[in-house]
Amino acid sequence: MIKILLIALSASLLMGCSLIKEVKPWEKETLAKPMMQFGGLHPEVTKFEAHTYFSKEASRGGSGVSGGGCGCN
Amino acid sequence: MLKKTLYSLLFSTVALMALETGDSVPKNIQDKLKLESNKVYIVDFFASWCKSCKKELPLITNVYNNKVAEVIGINVDKNQEDGKQFVKELELPFPIVYDSDKSLVETFNPLGFPAIYYLKNGQVLNVIFGAVEEIDKKITEDIKSIK
Repeated sequence: MIKILLIALSASLLMGCSLIKEVKPWEKETLAKPMMQFGGLHPEVTKFEAHTYFSKEASRGGSGVSGGGCGCN
Repeated sequence: MLKKTLYSLLFSTVALMALETGDSVPKNIQDKLKLESNKVYIVDFFASWCKSCKKELPLITNVYNNKVAEVIGINVDKNQEDGKQFVKELELPFPIVYDSDKSLVETFNPLGFPAIYYLKNGQVLNVIFGAVEEIDKKITEDIKSIK
């Protein structure tokens, strides 16, 4: 009985996988929107987060953040 | 019953296949694109949201203006007005087909965007996916070898 239940459960799980539809290249309009990138619509938020990170971790330049080089900020 | 299921599975797989070099373009698609025999066509699939397309289309315009080959642009924007605005913005001089029902793009089934197909006499001669530096020069060289 348990065996049958396990098979039924596995089959239903596998069938669930088949419902996942591939996103075709011409269907990526939403994915191409600026709000879909890391940091969202406001890249300055990402910049401030990076600033906090490198200040705390003393890792300036490690993530490609530009800086003045004076070491004062 | 089993035979019928197997056939339907087989045909559904065939329908999902992409057109590749050497494949024939279905007759209804040739008619839709109004392809003439013995002419080399560059069919370029693009969308307004595709950054690489925006970069590449002025170079495709060069191909058209220099009469290297016939060019047909296929816009796949969901909203046709977005596509029309994009075409107007870039001042594309070549014929544009608005594929709102996705019948063209689903037949060609490109793996990436922008997608360029070289067609002659209903046959795919070459396929290029994604942005390529100096695509106009590449197309010109390719066409020379085809002609």
